[in-house]
Amino acid sequence: MRSIVRAAFVAAVALVAAVTLASAVTAPAEPEGFWNGPVNAPVPHTIKGGKLVHTQALAALLKRKNAVVIDVSNAPHRPENLPASTTWLPLPHRAIPGAVWIPGAGLGEPPPNLDEYFRERLAKATGNDLGKPLVLYCHQQCWLSWNGAKRAIQYGYRNVYWYPEGIEGWRKAKLPTTVVQPEGAP
Amino acid sequence: MGLKKPMAVTLIGWALLGGLQPALADEEDNQDRAARWKQLQESLFPHRQVLDAGGIITVDAPPRALDAALVPVELHIAANKPVKSVYLVIDDNPAPMAAHFVFGPKADPRDLKLRVRVNAYTNIHAIAETQDGQLHAATKFVKAAGGCSAPAGPDDNAALADIGRMKLRLLGDFNAGKPMQAQLMIRHPNFNGMQMNQITRYFTPARFIRTIDATYDGGQVFHLDADISLSTDPVITFGFVPHAKGQMKVVAQDSSNATFDHSFDVPGTPAG
Repeated sequence: MRSIVRAAFVAAVALVAAVTLASAVTAPAEPEGFWNGPVNAPVPHTIKGGKLVHTQALAALLKRKNAVVIDVSNAPHRPENLPASTTWLPLPHRAIPGAVWIPGAGLGEPPPNLDEYFRERLAKATGNDLGKPLVLYCHQQCWLSWNGAKRAIQYGYRNVYWYPEGIEGWRKAKLPTTVVQPEGAP
Repeated sequence: MGLKKPMAVTLIGWALLGGLQPALADEEDNQDRAARWKQLQESLFPHRQVLDAGGIITVDAPPRALDAALVPVELHIAANKPVKSVYLVIDDNPAPMAAHFVFGPKADPRDLKLRVRVNAYTNIHAIAETQDGQLHAATKFVKAAGGCSAPAGPDDNAALADIGRMKLRLLGDFNAGKPMQAQLMIRHPNFNGMQMNQITRYFTPARFIRTIDATYDGGQVFHLDADISLSTDPVITFGFVPHAKGQMKVVAQDSSNATFDHSFDVPGTPAG
């Protein structure tokens, strides 16, 4: 009985390893410009001009350095013409403590005023210091943070970190979160 | 001995589903879900107590939905206590109240099916309101994400073609006085206002079915108050009790105040 369970366990671990390896092989290459395809899809393992950071390294980075953390997850769009009878009650949005939540800043083609807002908000958050560490994230398998990081790199920031595991990876590691409100262009 | 194989299989499945990662993270999720449900009870059913299902109602849905924009949900009501209405709440959707069915004298409320959009991994609650005004809630956890922003179709104009066209399919045999099931299909994009037009990159304004009234020979079967969580081209399976051959009349109104209606013969000609 026990040996069968153990064999199954080993097989399962091997399978998981194989699946992980397969997904590593199928990770897409970086696109030339911003990604305009489906937001929730496999992401690359690189970002030109920036660095990848994983959960534990990010937690350490945030302890060590005064990094600016930006969450570019989508916010649910409240329809303008929603009838009064509809109860609109979006879930509280959990973020890495201290993060600034700017929905839309990771779109392939954000509206121009949002692009401008993002640029100015980063300037304010970093105190106009292009060398300040910046961390961008959204969700697991989510291109928005890749785009957001790429955009920050294009603005000229030299220490851009992209955290591809997103809030799911952060919470899985039992790290603390806070509830934040979205910011954006008026 | 008989346990071996299922255990091994379960273990592999569990490992593949990410079970090798620490399970502890679920605790915070569970706390969040409990807090959310408390919040929803207070805002959707103010000053009312929501009791356990108590065997009166159950809700079923696939634990892992294939398409988050088309999640089939089944509600089953036990015949042991008269139920006057049923609410369907999708906890983590931004507009959580998906549907409220009020049953009329011609209804057989025991089995209801519909399809909904699910935005995130969420609990779904089905709440039965008994004739004496008590609320009884059953729950089911569903893994699906992104259903709210999923488009209604390849393009908005195609989704609007034939708007309001209806079909009614009778399930099973017609026997006067005996309950039977019917499946109502209404062609409607049910734009929820959260879908971005893939070409213009603007949000398509909300336009969705707000009410459906089904009557049989003038007697109410159900009245439905719906909201933005019903799927595109709503399909609703419900029970009714035909006393004799007659007509099922369906009237639907959408949030743009367009009214659609159709009458169907029961038992009717085959395959309407």
